[in-house]
Amino acid sequence: MQHDIVARPGKAADYVNSASGTVDRRIFWDPDIYQQELKNVFYRSWLFVAHESQVEKPGDFVTTYMGEDSVIVTRGDDQAINVFLNSCPHRGNRVCFADSGQSRSFVCNYHGWAFGLEGALKKMPKMGLYKASPGFRMEDWGLRGARVASYKGLVFATFDETAPSLDAWLGDFRWYLDAVLDVEEGGSEFLAGGATRSVINCNWKFPADNFVGDIYHALWTHLGGAEPTLGRHGGVKVENEGSYHVSVNGHGWEFNDSFFGNAATMGDRELLRYMRSRQTAITERLGKFRTDMWGAVSSATIFPNFSFLPGYFTFRTFQPKGPTRTEIHAWTLVPKTMPDDIKDRFRRGSMRTFSPSGILEMDDGENWEHSTRANAGFVTRHQNLCYSMAPGGLSDDPALPGIVHEGQLSDANQRLFYRRWAEMMDAPSWDDIGLAPITRSQAEAAE
Amino acid sequence: MSAALDQKPDYSTYPQIDRAAARVAAQQLLGLAGDGPAAPDAVWQEVERFYAREARLLDAERYDDWYALLADDLFYWMPLIENRFRRDKRPALSPDHMALFDETKADIALRIGRLATGLVWTEDPPTRHVYVIGNVEVFTTPVAGEYEAHSTFIQYRNRSEHDDATLIGRRRDILRRDGAGLLIVRRLILLPQSVLLTKNLSVFF
Repeated sequence: MQHDIVARPGKAADYVNSASGTVDRRIFWDPDIYQQELKNVFYRSWLFVAHESQVEKPGDFVTTYMGEDSVIVTRGDDQAINVFLNSCPHRGNRVCFADSGQSRSFVCNYHGWAFGLEGALKKMPKMGLYKASPGFRMEDWGLRGARVASYKGLVFATFDETAPSLDAWLGDFRWYLDAVLDVEEGGSEFLAGGATRSVINCNWKFPADNFVGDIYHALWTHLGGAEPTLGRHGGVKVENEGSYHVSVNGHGWEFNDSFFGNAATMGDRELLRYMRSRQTAITERLGKFRTDMWGAVSSATIFPNFSFLPGYFTFRTFQPKGPTRTEIHAWTLVPKTMPDDIKDRFRRGSMRTFSPSGILEMDDGENWEHSTRANAGFVTRHQNLCYSMAPGGLSDDPALPGIVHEGQLSDANQRLFYRRWAEMMDAPSWDDIGLAPITRSQAEAAE
Repeated sequence: MSAALDQKPDYSTYPQIDRAAARVAAQQLLGLAGDGPAAPDAVWQEVERFYAREARLLDAERYDDWYALLADDLFYWMPLIENRFRRDKRPALSPDHMALFDETKADIALRIGRLATGLVWTEDPPTRHVYVIGNVEVFTTPVAGEYEAHSTFIQYRNRSEHDDATLIGRRRDILRRDGAGLLIVRRLILLPQSVLLTKNLSVFF
């Protein structure tokens, strides 16, 4: 039934004008659009599920979500990482209630059906009853598995058999990702102790949009949060000289060349001293341009809902829990070879800035909640939101892959995020979704 | 805590303990099982009064007065809780794991400094707080003048129109006699939520 004055568009593309920069407010709360997102965005995408360091040994597991589907991530005896649904095919109950641990099997609490590390049904009480049941085959009733692939420690999964490879999905964004994932020999890890999780009553796209390109908000939202550490040094500084928006396949990263501009807001001089001590070595590894990105004033989102902040190295998923409810799950990523004392300083630094008690994160939540709620007003919903900021043109630097705009104060990445969103929402199949050609050869992701 | 613009505080020079001392403090807190000799009733009453005043100071946003109740060697810790099977061999809580608060006195000063800037839009108009402290138990410790105290709390917040959060948990403290009063030397805050069911912890415990 049509209730709005301005008729609901039939296509998602009509909610978003990525050329002029407008977005229809209805996409931030409409339950039908949300259901379509679960199907056409979350089901089709490669979603972040774990860091390899969380499931180091066979039998290690963590539980997480893909869209609204609960999944278990395990390391099998063959060292492969498996991802499968956390729901017993017998009556549907969740089979694992722990967030992490070590196990040889997952046993459903309801009737005792037991599943192995690869998700296969292994046994159940009184198996003879099933052996005597015509047509029943154990192999038909495992936990449904997803495709799994990793890029430099980050494990992604998708249930869509028709999705292109993770390499194609990430494309040239991998070249930029190395600026946080491959800074040191030996790779990266998540710090121990699990995910910091909290609930925000907002649509998942607001935080994803914020991280994909919105440094503009820091100049106002975070004035108070940044003051105790940056106030003595002149406060938050963001300029469009020497800074960029880069976008690949809807993934986006806004950054400047400040090397540790983000890290400085943690207020720990030892950390900055350490980062400075690694600058030459990292430059030899990654070149100056990407080394300057390592801890710079910056933020990024891997489409659709996996974001991170260089410098604090908080990595987080914005888990959809309904059109107006989102859960933040956050971890801190560090190079494995980093000294323990420095890792510990990052643990406390990222907690003190970007966690539910963080002096910066605490500034954000209310903005996203009230943007979500106010957009549902009957009159309010009929005015588009403004994504007009486009002061910088396209960069012509051939060294930088992707769609690169000059200046980090911009709505460029946000527009491209919503363009990708609309394209996936409207596409009948993966054949109708375009991915940018890969121009940089990277170490291929393993599937 | 508020400072003139030309004289902004350098929180790194504020009182703090090093990481080794913080680990020792964390282990001490984990070991507080409430099995020691009960403190005299007069001390128990004094701690009850201390907690009631502390709660009132926090409710009234009298953060500088509350800060004065913290010892210079404070360790203030809210570890992260994970859902784990009972058979899991890992220690449930570790000082080296992710936490929600893992603070020295200097870190608390920095947080109070943020609130004092007048630039924290999400606290303006102000949040209304009510803090209820109960189940207070006090024990003597091997250190003269230091007490082990256990308590429970209900921390209610309301702001704007429909925005509210109720956090309920347990605290374990080491309190130190300081002249006529008491100081908080160690505080472990155990919040039962594995997923924080609200958007932030813009609050002290």
